Amino acid sequence: MKKTTILITIILTSGLLLAQNVPNINLKNLNGKSINIQKISKSKNIKVLAFWATWCVPCINELDAISEVYEDWQDETNVELIAISTDDSRTKKRIRPLVNGKDWEYEILLDDNQDLKRALNISVLPHLLVVKNGKIVYRKTSYTPGSEDELYEIIQKYAN
Amino acid sequence: MKRSVISLTFIFISLISNSQVLDNLSIGLESNTVWYNDDNETGDFFDTANNDSDKHIRSNSYLKIDYNFLENLTASVQIESYEPFALLNYSKNYEGTNLGIYSLNYRDSKLNITAGHFYSQFGSGLILRNWEDRQLGINNALQGGKIVYDPFSFISLTALYGKQRVGFTTSEGEIYGFNSEIDAASIFNFKNTSLDIGLSYVGRKEETTFLEPSFNELTNSLSGRIDYYHNNFYSNAEYVIKSEDAIKQGGQLSNRLVKPGNALLFNTGYSKRGFGIDATFRRLENMNFFSERNDAGNVFNESSINYIPGLTKQHDYLLTNIFVYQAQSVVNLDTSQSGEIGGQIDLFYKIKKETFLGGKYGAKFALNFSYWAGLDGNYTQDNPDAGILPNYEVNLLGFGDKYFSDFSIEIRKKWTPKWRSIFYFVNQSYNKKVIEGSGIMINSNIGVIESTHKLSNGKSLRLEIQKLNSDSTKHDWTGGTIEYNINSKFSVYVNDIYNNGSDSNTEKTHFFNLGGSYTKGATRLGLNYGRQRAGLLCVGGVCRFVAEATGLTANLTMSF
Repeated sequence: MKKTTILITIILTSGLLLAQNVPNINLKNLNGKSINIQKISKSKNIKVLAFWATWCVPCINELDAISEVYEDWQDETNVELIAISTDDSRTKKRIRPLVNGKDWEYEILLDDNQDLKRALNISVLPHLLVVKNGKIVYRKTSYTPGSEDELYEIIQKYAN
Repeated sequence: MKRSVISLTFIFISLISNSQVLDNLSIGLESNTVWYNDDNETGDFFDTANNDSDKHIRSNSYLKIDYNFLENLTASVQIESYEPFALLNYSKNYEGTNLGIYSLNYRDSKLNITAGHFYSQFGSGLILRNWEDRQLGINNALQGGKIVYDPFSFISLTALYGKQRVGFTTSEGEIYGFNSEIDAASIFNFKNTSLDIGLSYVGRKEETTFLEPSFNELTNSLSGRIDYYHNNFYSNAEYVIKSEDAIKQGGQLSNRLVKPGNALLFNTGYSKRGFGIDATFRRLENMNFFSERNDAGNVFNESSINYIPGLTKQHDYLLTNIFVYQAQSVVNLDTSQSGEIGGQIDLFYKIKKETFLGGKYGAKFALNFSYWAGLDGNYTQDNPDAGILPNYEVNLLGFGDKYFSDFSIEIRKKWTPKWRSIFYFVNQSYNKKVIEGSGIMINSNIGVIESTHKLSNGKSLRLEIQKLNSDSTKHDWTGGTIEYNINSKFSVYVNDIYNNGSDSNTEKTHFFNLGGSYTKGATRLGLNYGRQRAGLLCVGGVCRFVAEATGLTANLTMSF
């Protein structure tokens, strides 16, 4: 028991200190072009990597909510949101029509066998990473209406 | 002992205080603990898989650690614990605490080599897919080696060998795989057009105990794919063949029913800003493919080589997930089954702002229709006395008995900046006899209204009302959800579904849940008490599959 407590404490504290690197993994975009996640993350402009799926209602609610204020966010902070779909081949076909139908302006990447999701140890959706200069500076899971405002505060904090 | 713990702790702390080490470490922890209750209405707790009624508290936990070093190398381990037994509805093969996954990976711009466990997918997975889904209890990673070589930017080649993970061991069958992906558009320098070609081979070798087998130990499958995209139009097709192999009949592998299999998948669509349409057709004939022939049809999907999902819309509400279609790939001469044929169409449309239907904020509209049927043909039962071999002959494009259909409309509407609603209607036909093994066709209509209200100070309220009517006296459901988000960290909810019909499994029973969650960054703790049906549960901003049970559940997930 004592050992477990020590181990958990260590894991917890180490978690607080992390500014982890983005893994070196290639994903395809909707045009079939291969994109290296590490390369695009090495920017001084903030990137938000948003993991979602076509069947995940809170993910869609979150991306819908952000899309309404996205122009303002970009004007003020140059932030770019990259929506990484974890849909497998069952629902993957629905991505393109859904994204266009919703008129989202995000770059969409496909993680259809969840290689990146696994490498980042993400277990539940939605899950967002805020990335700057190739490092993960903030992560969050789940969505409640209005929590996009808190996300924007974090983006503003790191934007300067 | 104590000293070693202290020294280990010391090493660990000194490691993590070195930021270089820290930056290259990724950790994920997930723990799902359930305290199962005896339920007055649905019966006492009993675990049929382990024949146990004593161990009411169980926990499935996963600790995954990935460490990146020397630029190109990544070491990964996943420790899994199922104590004292796995949660209900998990395979008995997940037992105790052990190392589930370990691997070492080397990656540079041209080479990607993995030794140990790896997950791989060729094309859409119709020929090969290794994946993990902890809620479903699936982990069919291959243990062996994989090399991916990209000699040029437009060609990717994969070779792999391994045995599939089953619980904490591996299956008997050996898997050989080869895959090539060619980006033809880059070769010809097309602009605004993409053309990808894929070719794959997967072989499964398993010894047989038949003295004179009428099939080969090695079963071969081949897949050819083409994927085309031009401006707003796209289209892709895949064809798979599987060589002759023995088929399981009546729970036994048959040396008399030896047949090949094939699959055809075609998808096309068009989309532009504010509009999207997509259509898929698929035909499967004898496409079950497992590491061990005798595993065909196992309920846990253990040692499955290929991935055959039900191609229907994945609904998000409690009552829309009562009748869920499973893809039918099994051969069963008793019920004249050898596969399935059908398809689905999706339509998405954004109604513009400041129009009659759109109102001030516009509206979003989604429509889906799917239809699946058996393969039409002649099915011949085994009759050794008359010298007749079991067999089936099916037509290429013949639709047989109807298995499932589903028509749904979803309208998302924002009324004011603080108030939005979703209207959802589904009409379903579900062939219970084929999908579950007994029963008749059930036709149902389901309506859902969901409304979210943003209140002040980050508070919000979400309400759902649901109703399912069917032509069967067994199913007449009503349901509802109330969710209150106190702020972005705390959320509480209660939901309930109730069947006023006469279905013996669910009749006059409240399947209720109440609970809450706390989220901070990437850490989430959820608590839930309730009686639940199997299905997809989406509450507090997170979706996951849950199994049927009554009890108190605690979920903890963390990632760093």
